[in-house]
Amino acid sequence: MTYSSFIRSEFLVLWRRKQDIFNALLFFIIVVALFPIGINSSAEFLAPAAAGIVWCAVMLAILMAVEGMFKEDYWDGSLEQWIVSGLSLPLLILLKVIVQWLVVVAPLLVMMPLFSEMLYLPSLSFWVLIMTLLLGSPSLFFIGAVGAALTMSIKQGAVLVMLLILPFYLPVIIFSTLAVKAAEAGLPYSGLLAMLLAMSLLSLVISPLMTAIAVKASVN
Amino acid sequence: MQSTASLTISNLWIERGERDLCQGLSFSVQSGEIVRILGDNGAGKSSLLKTIAGVFSPLEGKISYVGEDVTFDRSLLQKDAIYLGHSVGVKSLLTVVENLRWYCPDVSLGVLHEVLELLEITNHVDVLVKNLSAGQARRVALARLWLSNKTLWLLDEPFASLDVRGVTLLEQRIQQHVLSGGLVVLTTHHDLLTLSSRDVVLLP
Amino acid sequence: MSWAWFHKLGSPKWFFSWSKSWALPLFCVGCVCLFVGLVWGLAFAPADYQQGNSFRIIYIHVPVAMLAQSCYLALGVAGFVFLVWQMKMAPVFIKSMAPVGAVMALIALVSGAIWGKPTWGTWWVWDARLTSVLVLFLLYMGIIALQNSLDDLVLVNKAAAVISVLGLINLPIIKYSVVLLETLHQGPTFTLTKKPEMPPEMWLPLLFSVIGLYCFVAGLVLWRMQTEILKREHRSNWVKQEVMEHGL
Ligand SMILES: Nc1ncnc2c1ncn2[C@@H]1O[C@H](COP(=O)(O)OP(=O)(O)OP(=O)(O)O)[C@@H](O)[C@H]1O
Ligand SMILES: [Mg+2]
Repeated sequence: MTYSSFIRSEFLVLWRRKQDIFNALLFFIIVVALFPIGINSSAEFLAPAAAGIVWCAVMLAILMAVEGMFKEDYWDGSLEQWIVSGLSLPLLILLKVIVQWLVVVAPLLVMMPLFSEMLYLPSLSFWVLIMTLLLGSPSLFFIGAVGAALTMSIKQGAVLVMLLILPFYLPVIIFSTLAVKAAEAGLPYSGLLAMLLAMSLLSLVISPLMTAIAVKASVN
Repeated sequence: MQSTASLTISNLWIERGERDLCQGLSFSVQSGEIVRILGDNGAGKSSLLKTIAGVFSPLEGKISYVGEDVTFDRSLLQKDAIYLGHSVGVKSLLTVVENLRWYCPDVSLGVLHEVLELLEITNHVDVLVKNLSAGQARRVALARLWLSNKTLWLLDEPFASLDVRGVTLLEQRIQQHVLSGGLVVLTTHHDLLTLSSRDVVLLP
Repeated sequence: MSWAWFHKLGSPKWFFSWSKSWALPLFCVGCVCLFVGLVWGLAFAPADYQQGNSFRIIYIHVPVAMLAQSCYLALGVAGFVFLVWQMKMAPVFIKSMAPVGAVMALIALVSGAIWGKPTWGTWWVWDARLTSVLVLFLLYMGIIALQNSLDDLVLVNKAAAVISVLGLINLPIIKYSVVLLETLHQGPTFTLTKKPEMPPEMWLPLLFSVIGLYCFVAGLVLWRMQTEILKREHRSNWVKQEVMEHGL
């Protein structure tokens, strides 16, 4: 096993499981649609709420996609093989999370123009929303990976991961929605984007180490 | 592959859940040797192999490989070893070839097909592993033994779910490996047909 | 300074006998202080000139809210100690502390809501402090749920430590973001524990109840840890001896 063959096989597995990614995206669409249908479909309500709605849906969709990321590797014995491969376990995990991020976030970003129209997002703040997604979503994946690793030995762990991980996501959603609102009001928002970037970098350093500890403890 | 390697286990204690296993086990393996771990179900054979491979750490004791103490940092041993456990680590959503290229990316397609032919899975090269039988899936995992060039083999019940011809093939490969200076530690509940091994018995 | 005490913390037996002599006195001191503080605060301290008698609930709310945060801090530190030094007492501590912390956070939430009714006119306001206590409560519940869903002890220990450390790192960020949210929303400007110049008759009972609650919780957690140690070490000889000599 080498790092590059690992990345290739991770991509291949995700390609074969494209339905799961697809499901997460559909889930995203449904959650977004719930707000206009369930609360209020007028532009006056939706325009200011758009960023918050998108971010709530993104958080849930990402958690859905990430929650089971180690399950298969756990049950088919691949995790053992990662550990005994002589490669660095945190680095393997980092690569896996990055692959997941690429595969899930790319289609989300592609769908964004559509949703900004559907939610009457002011065009001024569209690019800020995209920026918050790009800078903020990595930390969601990294934190989610820890939750996935901690619960991989439980057959039905999805709700537990939600309970465990969603509180950690709060700062990301707060910074992101505040940044979009600041942009709408014409206020500076680069500080908030910097906070998002800082959170992503911090979780990039800490999460693979923590996830590695959790993986090693689970493969017992 | 190293021509003179040795693996030494001294005074090993393993803790699994509520149980202490191995209780001060010591043995050593030189190149050209096959060591068979014997013991009842639950005696700790798999745990022993996993501990040597570095899946988890022993409570006490020392593991050294080619004269170096690898108890705390197993990477020297891991670079030169293959470990195959009860669950063999083939991905059910990859095809046979993709699985093998994951583990052995440097092997050319020609060699790969030769080995698959030897193992009689050529007809299923592009089939997802989830569509193979248990024995076929194990053959895919075992193909790594032909494809890679590692000295130390840690095989946990490698003969499980293999048919008679599979067993013969594997025994031949193990024989060939030890003749060229390899080390093999394996567990099995069956008698070895053609191989002669040294036995280490684990008491429960 | 000698590090011997630190290494002794790795030994359940040593810790057990040590904690036996400390749990009861701490618990009693805690009870007495808490009683003095509460009675003094609720019955004798002067009423607040702005809020009247309703402010008296700070004698419960403030100590409990402080405890809820301190407990999480302690969990995070214990988790770190476990991940770095593999100290055996740390997971026992986390296991015993998490439910206590969760109860503290819950009481803080309820008392905050009760206090909010007369001051703000509603039971709940998305005030920064209340929101972060709510998040804290959810973090505690996450740890407890995780511990209950996993069954392998090694995994439970590691998992609880990992999530506590992660929470400890994240808690300041959560607090910062919640405060930021509030200031940008121009929400209610009245915060629960804005410190006006309190006369000593008002803050002395508060001090008493804070110290009392700390001691009370310390004693309680020591007791819970003793039970947990007995459960975990039930195979070892010293536990058998202990039970033979002193009963359960
Ligand atoms: N995941 C686990 N958690 C806790 N204890 C375990 C776990 N796996 C195994 N054990 C314990 O460790 C002991 C040894 O298990 P191990 O799998 O090493 O046995 P074995 O000798 O390989 O048995 P078999 O012949 O059935 O393969 C068992 O008695 C079992 O109680
Ligand atoms: Mg076994």
